[in-house]
Amino acid sequence: MNVTSTYQEVSPTEPIIAVRGVSKWFGSVVALNDVSLNIHPGLTGLLGPNGAGKTTLLHLISGQTKCSDGEVTVFGQQVRNNYQLYHRIGFLSEHETVYPFYTGRQFVEFAGKLNGLDSLASAVDHAIERVGLVDVQNRSLGTYSRGMRQRMRLAATLVHDPEVLILDEPLSGTDPRQRVEFQDLIVRLAGEGKTILISSHILEEVEAVAGRILLLMSGKLAAAGNFRAIRAKLDEQAYKVRIVTDAPRVMAAALVQTDAVESVSIGADGDIVVLSHNVAALMKSVPRLAQEHKIRLTRVEPLDDSLESIFSYIVER
Amino acid sequence: MGPVLWLSLRQLGGRWRLALVLLLAALPVALAAMIRIFSNDDSSDENGFVNVLLDGLIVGGIMPIVVMALATAAFGNEVEDRTLGYLVLKPIPRWKIALPKFLATIFIGGPVLIGGGVVATVLGLEAGPQAAVAVGVGLFAGVITYAAIFTWMGLISNLAIAFALIYVFLWEGLIASLIPGIEYFSVRGYTLAIMHGMDESALDALSTRVIDLPTAIVGATVVTLLFFGLTVRRLLRMDVP
Repeated sequence: MNVTSTYQEVSPTEPIIAVRGVSKWFGSVVALNDVSLNIHPGLTGLLGPNGAGKTTLLHLISGQTKCSDGEVTVFGQQVRNNYQLYHRIGFLSEHETVYPFYTGRQFVEFAGKLNGLDSLASAVDHAIERVGLVDVQNRSLGTYSRGMRQRMRLAATLVHDPEVLILDEPLSGTDPRQRVEFQDLIVRLAGEGKTILISSHILEEVEAVAGRILLLMSGKLAAAGNFRAIRAKLDEQAYKVRIVTDAPRVMAAALVQTDAVESVSIGADGDIVVLSHNVAALMKSVPRLAQEHKIRLTRVEPLDDSLESIFSYIVER
Repeated sequence: MGPVLWLSLRQLGGRWRLALVLLLAALPVALAAMIRIFSNDDSSDENGFVNVLLDGLIVGGIMPIVVMALATAAFGNEVEDRTLGYLVLKPIPRWKIALPKFLATIFIGGPVLIGGGVVATVLGLEAGPQAAVAVGVGLFAGVITYAAIFTWMGLISNLAIAFALIYVFLWEGLIASLIPGIEYFSVRGYTLAIMHGMDESALDALSTRVIDLPTAIVGATVVTLLFFGLTVRRLLRMDVP
């Protein structure tokens, strides 16, 4: 486990999905930068803010996008344009668009036919049962709620019983009850020995189901492993935070008294720069101190750009 | 291939798109009927039909517009609404995705355009069945060739209709009629040449501006295969949105 700007993961056993030094750029925009990781059977969560490169990574793993550099293999094979491999992979995209003229059942049947299933009817029945939409399977997809549409799309992804499931933000648009049902289903699938990679920008969604988390920040793998271990490691590291207020000296004096702060300095422009080993505690202290001393806070931001997103996920808990 | 073809037929067979296609195909029939009603029974009417209605309106205007409306949407809609992943993430080779998309345009646009063109020819030209067959076969070749070009355009750009319109009116319409030799590289030229080659007497008005039949057949075949190949290549190389 590591939380440096680029995390290079090595695993002793043969991975199901192997990403080796992968970079992807679109023109001058670098979406992924030298990412290496291994994914083994079970549930792995891919966490990161919007724009971190999660979807790009999932597209590379599923072969929808070509790597600018590096290599992706699934079951030891190149995945891009390797059609036969799609018998073993199921991909649920973040885009919820469906063919509105199909019923739910027709949509799953369509996916089954494209996968060349022999016993199509029973496979479709089984997939629809798994997502709990038997009662509405003959309704047009255009009449489904967002959550129902997501589940029927998952049924179409599961119809050929793939060994690898890649789910891009599958819980978006689901209500709390649907989310729990969806999470239960994903956990059951992982229990069957499938390799599941699930992405989200919401920590709680991933943490609830995934034993292992990959943290993607600004196109780099920032950390990998158990969530609590990641957080503990983050707490060991000192971070610089800039605080802008209308009374910097008062605020600085108050901050120095807190345990979360290692040192405080005030720049020529009046901005406070705080060095802290415990950003979570600092972020709780700052608004409290501002309220106590009637100080107006203008800005609180990490000076290390790569930490900006970690703030959103780790610190806000 | 069957599921993708059925999907494509349903996608392209929307009510409004079909209504537009039928309306456009009916236009030359209505005009040919008027020519027949108000005809003076001289050869200038027949030449007028061939030059204005058959070449100018059907082959030069309605056929490319109808095929463009269908073929650019064959992949264009899936790229736009991001449903292309439902097809390309399945264990089927890319040509089995491209072929049904291409065929769907032909299956929907072909019968309507050929039917309209043949009926218009029968009414406007008062020629025998050979001329009607010649027009039908020529239009069929034109639909196939345009379908290959516009299906590719729909896959490479979300501005495919704009590019297709520029291509049709600038290249096929203006440049091909002004610069000698361009008809060897023109779908309109192939279509008219196939029609003329199959019934030279009835379509004699085209004789001064068409290439020979074998060249037209080879040209249409090469263009169709080339653009179908480019479509498959694009599917292989593109980043799926």
